[in-house]
Amino acid sequence: MKLRFAVLLVFVGGAVGAIAREFLMLFVPTLPHGFPLDIFVANVVASLLIGLSAGRYKRKIISDGWHLMVTTGIMGGLSTFSSFAYATSVLIKASMTSALVAAAYVLISLVMGYVAAVIGMKIGGMRTESSPRR
Amino acid sequence: MLVGLGGGVGSVLRWWIGRLVGESYKGHFPLGTFLINISGSLVIGYLSVLFNVDWDNRHGHGMVLNALVITGVLGGYTTFSSMQLDAARLAAEQHPRLAAFYLLLSVAAGLLAALAGAALASAQG
Repeated sequence: MKLRFAVLLVFVGGAVGAIAREFLMLFVPTLPHGFPLDIFVANVVASLLIGLSAGRYKRKIISDGWHLMVTTGIMGGLSTFSSFAYATSVLIKASMTSALVAAAYVLISLVMGYVAAVIGMKIGGMRTESSPRR
Repeated sequence: MLVGLGGGVGSVLRWWIGRLVGESYKGHFPLGTFLINISGSLVIGYLSVLFNVDWDNRHGHGMVLNALVITGVLGGYTTFSSMQLDAARLAAEQHPRLAAFYLLLSVAAGLLAALAGAALASAQG
């Protein structure tokens, strides 16, 4: 694959993912005490789908280009670590209640994101009728 | 549109840095994603404080920068899903302790980086 084409695939994927995240941020409300539900949803959904996509890629069901656009581009653009870390840092300083919300946010995000990625990989790595025989 | 543009730029930057780190570091630890996430957290802390100050004075310019840089570039640059995928892979490859260490270290270092970035911007302000 030409480098220029690869850059284009990552760029387009990242743009699509970031716009999807922006829509989530517009329509998903922040819960009481500042729990960032929008970023949480984006991160967990992206973790599930990145696992799925990686599993399909391992089974050679999706091509290199498709993998680059979906896994590196869209899922990387949809999920975000910087907003996750910054929201936590703000909540931790705000008050005792919001510090507890921050701790819950980190814990639930880590656990749910991890479980989502593992489940995605399991489902994505399953053999289907279209997958080539090993 | 701005978010998309920024997200595209940030994602290409992430991919490029990930490749560079991958060429020079061959260990199990997902160093590329780790460095990307921590540097992104530092910058978001710094810029969030900086832009918030400017919103009062600059009549909307802050919103453009916010969409382009914070939601777009930094959101596209850093990634939560790749971190979880790396961790899940490590665990599947018989390195569950390294996976847990990686996740916890990422969160702790990211949090400290965001706090440091915000403190730096406040000190300048």
